Amino acid sequence: MADFEPRIVTFCCNWCSYAGADGAGVARLQMPTNFRIIRTMCSARVDPEFVLRAFSKGADGVMVLGCHPADCHYIGGNYRARRRIALLRMILEQYGFDPKRLKLEWVSASEGEKFQTTVVNFVETIKELGPTPLKKEAN
Amino acid sequence: MGFFDKLFKKKDKKEKAAPADNKAAAADKKAAAPAAAPAGEVEQIGLQAADLGELLPGAPPGGKFKLAIYWAAACGGCDVSILDTNERILTIGDMADIVMWPIAADGKEKDIEAMEDGEILVSLISGAIRNSENEHMVKLLRQKSKVVVAYGTCACFGGSPALANLVPGESKEILDYVYTKTPTSANFQSTYHSDAPVIPQTSTTVPEGELTLPVLYDTVRTLDQVVDVDYYIPGCPPLQESISQLLKAVADFAYNGVPLPPKGTEVGVTTKTLCEECPRHKENLRISHIYEPYEIDVKPDVCLMDQGILCLGPATVGGCGARCTKVGQPCRGCYGPTADVQEHGASVFTAIASMFPIREDDGIIGEDEIIKIMSEVKDPLGYFYAFTLGKSLIKKAVVEGGQ
Repeated sequence: MADFEPRIVTFCCNWCSYAGADGAGVARLQMPTNFRIIRTMCSARVDPEFVLRAFSKGADGVMVLGCHPADCHYIGGNYRARRRIALLRMILEQYGFDPKRLKLEWVSASEGEKFQTTVVNFVETIKELGPTPLKKEAN
Repeated sequence: MGFFDKLFKKKDKKEKAAPADNKAAAADKKAAAPAAAPAGEVEQIGLQAADLGELLPGAPPGGKFKLAIYWAAACGGCDVSILDTNERILTIGDMADIVMWPIAADGKEKDIEAMEDGEILVSLISGAIRNSENEHMVKLLRQKSKVVVAYGTCACFGGSPALANLVPGESKEILDYVYTKTPTSANFQSTYHSDAPVIPQTSTTVPEGELTLPVLYDTVRTLDQVVDVDYYIPGCPPLQESISQLLKAVADFAYNGVPLPPKGTEVGVTTKTLCEECPRHKENLRISHIYEPYEIDVKPDVCLMDQGILCLGPATVGGCGARCTKVGQPCRGCYGPTADVQEHGASVFTAIASMFPIREDDGIIGEDEIIKIMSEVKDPLGYFYAFTLGKSLIKKAVVEGGQ
């Protein structure tokens, strides 16, 4: 499956991770182009429905990036997000997805390099896992 | 390891590992519970006889309209709920000709086939679409009816039958389990068919000709995924008020020319969630342990979520009058999501996840610890999607590496 190019949806919080992604771009860090960024105000704004919708539309992987714990612009948003994502990961596993297809990571505004390594590693993981197991006709 | 093996393995584990404090709590509850419920308690809880409005009008002479009631993959509870309309059930017979009702009246497929298109005024269909017979009958009824109503949660959202979509081996695994692995069938098969187990086939040739059985589908679908649906009445089963309201509207339409409600209307639901009509008092407590109602002494006036009981009320549409929560049982979500939400389950666990407290050390603990905290919720998919899997975004189990 050498020619498999995964499609990855990335949710970035406005205050940390989006700025981090911006920083990675400004610094011209090289990374694969398999991801599409959706900017949300906070990682807690990422309703699990968004993630499920991404998977149901054929995404091979979803990343949710937010501020580091204790660093949230809204004080406790990322604490909520990580609890939701934990439950969501359990649900995806029950559906039969590999839970590695959903990644939660903390990237601050100054961590362009971390954004790069996160993307590189995640794309690699998804390439190993292969395309989404969701069959087209099922939905 | 198959789906069912995993399921039962989990159950065994759970039984063995019943925490000691729960037992103590249950024992306390036993001691505290009165020997018998006082007679006035039911009134205290606030349950009243349903107000069904005026009796339904009888039909003008020779003008009875035709009513069909059908069950697809359903338990029959929805049919019983129609009988539950008190003395009104007698006037339903005065008002309409019941041309088909498998559970209570005669009327066969060939009778319906002989009718002209649109001859039946209203068809109430309960149950999800599980096999080829279900699909054939609902398509036939759709063709012959002016109005089709998805009656009950299974027809509206898939209900419990749709949970069968989570078996990765699909209909083959289900049939194999039911006919060869359950204790009763395993004994039967090993006694009488030890060489090759007998599983029903969809067609068999016998000397008299060919016998057929309906085909069990791999995917359970909701009614509106198969045919066009005019109205929805959710509920497991729907309230007697809802069915009375609908029959009244239909009778008004048939005899007085009052226009029907707009297509797609959900009958008997409010615009807000169940919490709006639940009389329990919310204290916004945080929970760190989840209980089943039988494990604790449920306080009568306090929100069930505050007491650690998983209640789907915050994300379920109201209209049922909070009957379950009034008597101390959590909402299981049979009315489905509110109008603006598609994914009922996701909406629920978004709320549930926020009930877990933020800890002092939350800034330094890793994701493994969070998974440990959230593992308090057992079987999230089965619990949060118990009634609405048929309408969820991902409707079926998937198999990694299956393509």
